Amino acid sequence: MNSALTIARKEFVAALRSLSTYIIFTIFLVISGILFSMTVFKIGKAELRFLFELIHYTYLFYIPAITMGSLAREKSGGTLELLMTLPLRTGQIVAGKFIAALLLLVTVILCTLVFFGIILWYGFGIDYGAIMSGYLGILMAGGAYIAIGIFASSIQQDQVLAFILAFVISAFFCLSTVILPLLPVAVASVFQFISFGYHLDSFYKGVLDSRDILWFLSITAGFLLMAEFNLKLRNRAQER
Amino acid sequence: MISIENLSKTFGDIRAVDNASFTIRRGEIVGFLGPNGAGKTTTLRMVTGLLQPTAGNILINDIPLQDDPLAAARIIGYLPEQNPLYNDMLVYDYLKYVATLREVRKGDFINRLDFVVQKCGLFEVLAQPIGTLSKGYRQRTGLAQAIIHDPEVLLLDEPTSGLDPNQIIDVRQLIREMGNAKTVVLSSHILQEVQALCDRIIIINRGKIIADAIKDDLPALLESRMRVTIEIEGGEMELEPFLIDYPDAVLAEIEPQDQSVLYTFTITEEAEFKRRFAQYAMQKQRLIVGMKTHSLSLEDVFHRLTSPILDEDNLMPDSNVVQHSDAAEPQDKETRDE
Repeated sequence: MNSALTIARKEFVAALRSLSTYIIFTIFLVISGILFSMTVFKIGKAELRFLFELIHYTYLFYIPAITMGSLAREKSGGTLELLMTLPLRTGQIVAGKFIAALLLLVTVILCTLVFFGIILWYGFGIDYGAIMSGYLGILMAGGAYIAIGIFASSIQQDQVLAFILAFVISAFFCLSTVILPLLPVAVASVFQFISFGYHLDSFYKGVLDSRDILWFLSITAGFLLMAEFNLKLRNRAQER
Repeated sequence: MISIENLSKTFGDIRAVDNASFTIRRGEIVGFLGPNGAGKTTTLRMVTGLLQPTAGNILINDIPLQDDPLAAARIIGYLPEQNPLYNDMLVYDYLKYVATLREVRKGDFINRLDFVVQKCGLFEVLAQPIGTLSKGYRQRTGLAQAIIHDPEVLLLDEPTSGLDPNQIIDVRQLIREMGNAKTVVLSSHILQEVQALCDRIIIINRGKIIADAIKDDLPALLESRMRVTIEIEGGEMELEPFLIDYPDAVLAEIEPQDQSVLYTFTITEEAEFKRRFAQYAMQKQRLIVGMKTHSLSLEDVFHRLTSPILDEDNLMPDSNVVQHSDAAEPQDKETRDE
């Protein structure tokens, strides 16, 4: 576990030193800021549900952008060869990348607390429980998207392709609610269960349902395991 | 100690390593020599655990690699051929990162850092981003990374590629020092390098180990005959009676000069030949003005062992093959160690 933290620390520091991180940060915050200020007065309610939904949609671009390089860059630069010869388990490499991306996500979500502050300042009758569980929900969904992004990055050497693949898989989970009305009822219920929006809904309401939590955790674990498997498979490395 | 037993690796139809076996003991510097694509890197990668062998065993300190690859990884230092580095990291941060992942304890890190920085001459660039380093410094950083945890086994894949002559001397010096107490395996397609550094040479070609010998034995392995060039003053002389009388000597070449003629013979017994020939020349009242013995250089051996026209049967000492091969011109022994 220690080694995973060492990798995470190195990744996080490298991200903070890189200009592209700040560009992605800024774009994310500007977009969510604009959308927030456009909608907050229309709705006129002291809740953050719409903010969470909007953060959820920006994830589609933001998370593939921060995870696209995680393993793809190590592969194209050859540094994966070095990592695989260190006394590390493949799982620790993947875990390190995951923790680093999650930390970046937490950082940027902390920046959105400004919106929460605005609501807090001007709003009345705020449901603190719903806001807390909403934040937990988007963090868990974020974790699942990060796992998807790392999986995509483990398949591709090219960062752009990794981004596109992560985007497509994420879009499936994010947008499958959109096509629900077009589907027959039997299939619709399956798609509804798969979609992240459905599971996030109860978080927004302030309900912590173990089914939703387990759903996000299993998606996260599943994609991380697939990423690990991929690294072993692709490198034909000695089992460790 | 590294033991390799019947190791094979196939990529699809390509047999990259074919039934290779050898043992490398502690304190040995072993050169892994072969043309590009011979299977050197694949073998090293299998020893580091980066690739799983298709068949065969790798024992590191008598423990099979697949039983505990992490334990093996702890005692191996590896410099990959491409020397991959994180360009956005500082040299110091990079070494610290690798040392932490290599489980070097915090208290030991400063000492180890001190050691590698001094040995690899990295002091001036310690605070520089790796991306801004020259090829030579990059290679030294890669080497520093490979030895930061004081490994028992050091695997270096083409360690001096891309370095200038001064840097090559420094790196060789370092490898030689490391070789006193550790097992060092270095791969190279450069003969001079292997010749200058290694105690033992393993030649690999198309996945097969075709020679494994102490450095100085290797030319003898292939060729027990040597060439002698004799310079006789004046015009050409009749040699037939001598050649009939002493059948061991075979005339290989006659090269007329301005004032003399150069005769080149292949022989087995140098002293006996010289004595006999001197007597013969005296009989014929001719003056010998020069005599030079050539032994086969490692380069010739390498060329012969790996050249595609030869098959395995011809690898054993076989005077016919050697005698009629014009491909490799023997070099003077004196110029060999340059």
